[in-house]
Amino acid sequence: MPQATLFAPVAGPFSPWEPGALPLVVFFAIVVGLLAVILFLSGFLVRRRPTPEKQRPYECGILPTGDARFRYPVPFFLMAVFFLLFDVETAYLIAYAAAWPELALPGYLRMAVFILVLGFGLAYAWAKGGLDWTEEEGL
Amino acid sequence: MSGTLDTLFSPTDAVINWARSNSLWPFFFGLSCCFVEEATAWGPRYDIARFGSEVFRGSPRQADVLIVSGTMFKKIAPVALRLYEQMSDPKWVVSMGSCSNSGGMYDVYSVVQGTDQILPVDVYIPGCPPRPEAVFDGLLLLQKKIRAGEKPTRPVLHLPGGCEGGRADHLLDGVSKSRDTRGPGYAGIPIRGTAATEPRFWGSRTEVMWTPPAARISLRPDQQAVAADLAAAFGDAVAPAPDAADMPTYAVDPERIADVLAHLKHAAPTRFERLEDLTAIDETARRNRPDHDATAVYTLTSLSTPGMVRLTCPLPDRDAALPTATGVWPSAGWYEREAAEMFGIRFTGHPDPRRLLTHRDWPGHPLRKDYEGRATGMAPFTREDCARLEPVDAREILGPRADAGDYLLNFGPHHYATHGIFRYVLAMRGERIRALGMDIGYHHRGVEKIGERQTWHQFIPYTDRVDYLSGIANNLSYVTAVETLAGIAVPPRAAYARVMLSELFRLSNHLMFFGTFLQDLGMMSPIFYALREREMVLDIIETITGGRLHPSWLRIGGMAADLPEGWKDMVDAFVRIFPVRLREYHAGVTKNPIVRARCRGVGAISAAEAVDWGITGPNLRATGVAWDRRKTMPYGAYGDFDFDVPTRTAGDCYARYLVRMDEMEQSLRIVEQAANRMPGGRHLSEDARYSLPQKADSLKDIESLIHHFVNVTRGPRLPPGQAYAATEAPRGEQGYHVVSDGGASAYRMRIRTPGFANIQAMPLLAEGLRVADFVAVLASYDYILPDIDR
Repeated sequence: MPQATLFAPVAGPFSPWEPGALPLVVFFAIVVGLLAVILFLSGFLVRRRPTPEKQRPYECGILPTGDARFRYPVPFFLMAVFFLLFDVETAYLIAYAAAWPELALPGYLRMAVFILVLGFGLAYAWAKGGLDWTEEEGL
Repeated sequence: MSGTLDTLFSPTDAVINWARSNSLWPFFFGLSCCFVEEATAWGPRYDIARFGSEVFRGSPRQADVLIVSGTMFKKIAPVALRLYEQMSDPKWVVSMGSCSNSGGMYDVYSVVQGTDQILPVDVYIPGCPPRPEAVFDGLLLLQKKIRAGEKPTRPVLHLPGGCEGGRADHLLDGVSKSRDTRGPGYAGIPIRGTAATEPRFWGSRTEVMWTPPAARISLRPDQQAVAADLAAAFGDAVAPAPDAADMPTYAVDPERIADVLAHLKHAAPTRFERLEDLTAIDETARRNRPDHDATAVYTLTSLSTPGMVRLTCPLPDRDAALPTATGVWPSAGWYEREAAEMFGIRFTGHPDPRRLLTHRDWPGHPLRKDYEGRATGMAPFTREDCARLEPVDAREILGPRADAGDYLLNFGPHHYATHGIFRYVLAMRGERIRALGMDIGYHHRGVEKIGERQTWHQFIPYTDRVDYLSGIANNLSYVTAVETLAGIAVPPRAAYARVMLSELFRLSNHLMFFGTFLQDLGMMSPIFYALREREMVLDIIETITGGRLHPSWLRIGGMAADLPEGWKDMVDAFVRIFPVRLREYHAGVTKNPIVRARCRGVGAISAAEAVDWGITGPNLRATGVAWDRRKTMPYGAYGDFDFDVPTRTAGDCYARYLVRMDEMEQSLRIVEQAANRMPGGRHLSEDARYSLPQKADSLKDIESLIHHFVNVTRGPRLPPGQAYAATEAPRGEQGYHVVSDGGASAYRMRIRTPGFANIQAMPLLAEGLRVADFVAVLASYDYILPDIDR
C-alpha cells in the first residue's frame, strides 16, 4: 500500500507558509506602483478643458435656482437604516433556524432575548414615527 | 521630426479612433418628431447596438454625441447650447432631420433656421423625419469621419498638434452659410412671396374664382331652445350669427361675455360643461374688412346633450380688454394667456397674465397679421440671442408659490421623463412636490401662423406633425374642418380608409404609450415588445401611404391614392396576431403587483374636475365619463362601426393605463370591420372645385388635368366663413377651427389640441406626490409636445 504523501509546503523567501516582512513590502510596493500608474494615466490622458458652462451643475439645461447646500428631510434615509437593521436580524434568524435541533431550549432563550431587544427597538422607532413617511417633521 | 512622430503615432491614432468610433454614446436629447425615429433605431428590428451606440445617456457628462433630433426652437436653443457645452470632450454633433439641418418646413418666427447657427455640426442626416436606417447612415458617416480625419494621440499625450473631436465652429449667416430658401446664389434677387403668401399677388385668379357660399346648418330643437333662452336672458347683448357653417354662433358684447359663459355653463336649457377652445382672430387684413379689428372666439361643448356653441366677441381694436373667463372655467387660464401674447388683447382680472408660449422678453404678438411670420425674414438667430433668450428663473414661473417648498427643482426641458422639451418647476420639500409650475412653449412651431400662408392643400403635411405619433389622425381633423366649411362629401371608400388608418395610428400611438409608460416605471422589456408590434402597424401604413410617421395622406375630399394591392392581407395578418400579443402584455404587465402598487391611487383626478379643465381622450374616460366623439358626435364614417367606449372610474394612473389597453382592442375591432367592409369606388370626391381629381383621371382627360393643375398650384379657393371640427385623436379631442375670408389659404388656422388642455390640469394631479410618482403620472398621461405648444 503506497504511503500517503504528506503535504509539504515549499520553503522559500515568498512562501505564504513562512510569514515574513519581505513579501509584505514587495506586495505593498506593487500596490503603490499600480495605483500610481493608474492615477497618473487617468490624470494625464484625460484632457481637462474646463469652461464656466461645463463646471456648472447640470439641471436639465436650466440655470439652477438657489444653493444646493441646505437641510432637507430625508425620510428615505431612515427607511434604509431600518431596513438594514432588520435585514441583519433576518440573517441571524435564518442561521438560528438552521441550527435549531442542536441549540434546543438554551438557544431558544438566548434568541428570544435578542429578538425581544430588537422588538423593543422596532416598537420604539414605530412609536417615534420613524416608520411614517413624513417630510414635514424630518428636520 | 514631426513626420517621424506622426508615423510613430499612426497605429495609436488608429487604435484610439477605432475605440472611440465604435462606442459613441449618444446623448438622450430629443427635440421633436425625429427623436421617435431615433428611438426606434434603438429598438428591435433596427437595433443600434450593432454599431456600439445603444447607450443613450441622460446626462451630458456621460455622452459624446449630440444627435439634434428635431426642430431647434429659439426658446430651446439656449438650453441646447448649454447641454452641448456641458458634454465631455471630445464630442461630436449630428444634426438629424430637415428642421435641425435648415429649419426645414418650419420657416417660422420661433424656429432657428439650422442648428449649425449655434452648434458645430459634423454630420447632417436628411429627411423629415429620417428613417431609422438614415440614423445609422449618419452614425456610420460619423464613424468614418472620426477614423479618417482625427489624430488623437498627440492631444492625448499633451503634445502640440493632432486633432480630436468634431468641429468646433458654428456657422454664421451670410458668411459661412445662407438661409436663402432658394438655395445659394440668389442673394442679389429679393425674395418674394409665393402665391399664397402676403403680400398678395394682385390680380391672382384666385380672386376671381367663384365658389358657392359656405355650408349652413339649421338649428335642432335643443339648439333653438338655447337661442331663445339666450335672447330672453341677455337681449341685445347676444346676437345669433346668420351664417354658421358648423354650430350655432352668437356675437356677444365683450362686457357681458363672462356672464354669458356662466349662463351657458350653469343655467341654459342645454348645459355646456366644457370650454372647448378660446382664441382670437386679428381682423385687420380681411378681404371684406369688418367694423372691428379683432374677435375673441369661445367654443363650448355640451357633454350632456352632445353639441357645441360658439361665441364671438367683436373687439374695437387689437389692444382691447375683455373680462377674463377664468372665474367660469379654470381652464381659460392658459387659453387667455395664449390669446393675449399672440394677439395683444388683454383679459382683465386674469390671475397670471404672463406670456405663455413665447419667452418673457419676446417682442411683438406673432399671430397679428402685420407680424413677420418667416424666420428667414427676421435677423438670423445667433449665439448672442441664446444669452438674450435664457430661460427665466424657476422662481418666476412659480411666482408666490415658489416658497411652498424648501427648494426649487427644474424638471426638464431636457429630461428622460418629460417626454419632450417640457419644463416643470417643482417646489420640493424632501421628496414631496408642494407646488408645481409649468413652462411651455419650448416646442412652439408657430404652426397656426404657417396655416395662414400655406394653401389649403399645402397645409396638410403640417397637420401630421402636430401630434407626431398620430399621423393620419391629425390629417383627419383638419380635412374634416375644411370639408365642413365647404360642404364637401367624401366618397365611402375614402371615409372607411380614413377610419382604418386613423385607428391604426391610434394603435401605433397606444403601443408607444404602453412601452414608454412601463419604461418610465422601470420595466425595460415591454417597450421592445411594443416597438415590435408598432413596426407591424407602421409596415401597413407604409404599404398604403409610403410614409411612416408623417404620411400626409389625406386630401380634401378623400385621400392621396387608392389602397394598394396587398393591403388587406397585411391588415388581416395584424388583426390575427395582435390579440395574442395584447394578451401577452396583460399577462406580463397588467397584473404585475409592482405596476399596480406604482399606479393605483396615484395621480387621480375626479370626473367633475376633468370636465371643468377640458381634459379629453383616454384621460377623461379614465375618470368615468363615457365621452368619445366617435360615439357621441360621430364624424366621417364612424357612425357605421360597432365598438365600445372603454371607461374606468378611478381616474388614476392605473385607470389611464387600462383605458388605453382596452382602446387598443376596440381600435382593432374597428380596423377589422373597416377592412372587411371596405367599399369600392372613388378615393377622392368628385367635387373638383376643391378636391384634386384622381391622378388616373388627370392623365386621361383635359378637364381633370386642368383642375389638378389649378388645385395643386394656386390651390382651391374656399368660401368665406368658419368651421370647427374635432375628432377623437389618440390623445384626446383635436379640433381645427378654420377661418376663411375667401382666399386660397386660411385666414386664421386655429388648432385646439388635447395636450394643451390636458396638461394644464397637471398641478391638480401632481401636487402632493413624490417625484417618483410624478414620473408615473407624466407617463400615464400620454402627452406630446407639439400637441401642447403647436
